[in-house]
Amino acid sequence: MSAATDKTTALLAKLWVKIQPIVEERFAVLDRASAAAAQGSLPVELRKEAQSNAHKLAGALGMYGFDEGTRISRELEQLLDKEVPEPARLGTLVGELRASVTPKP
Amino acid sequence: MRRILIIDDEDDIREVAALSLEATAGWEIIAANSGAAGIKAAAEQKPDAILMDVMMPGMDGPTTFRQMQQNPNISGIPVLLLTAKVQGVDQRRFADLGVAGVLFKPFDPMTLAQQISHALGWKD
Repeated sequence: MSAATDKTTALLAKLWVKIQPIVEERFAVLDRASAAAAQGSLPVELRKEAQSNAHKLAGALGMYGFDEGTRISRELEQLLDKEVPEPARLGTLVGELRASVTPKP
Repeated sequence: MRRILIIDDEDDIREVAALSLEATAGWEIIAANSGAAGIKAAAEQKPDAILMDVMMPGMDGPTTFRQMQQNPNISGIPVLLLTAKVQGVDQRRFADLGVAGVLFKPFDPMTLAQQISHALGWKD
């Protein structure tokens, strides 16, 4: 591995830690949307906000090596494009998304 | 040394792109967080190329590109659009704008400089 690659990898790891509050905010929006959908009342504004957050996560997670996170985020973005996204699928994907970026013990 | 202007409203995307291009290619990076700020930075600093996000609040990437094309001081700077949209119809729409190329998010920080060079036909 070259020095430039080592340096980039180290900086990416630091940046991943730094952006955790942003990632958590985006997950929180998805959690709220999922909970609202489960209760049968997902407002359009919240759905669109959640879709936008899924889009941003899709574009970002893979940069840090979380390719599965990007794949799940894209599926969420498409699901949230529907006026009434299937609540069970939404909940499953949000859970899988969190798991995909959580280090395994 | 190449000078690249990165225009993206997301802080972490700008940071990752900047550290990637600085560390792997030794390029100089200028960053702007909106289309308007990007047009100003391009006019003032005359970068060799512009890497610009498609979806930004306010003025999006395609609109910013069209405004750049109307300014003779910066219209010759090649622009690469950066998008997380993966559907072919979106990709064709962006390519039809007349940009130098379209790159996709998430990009690989280890190869971003190579992707840019390849898209622009840079040999160095």
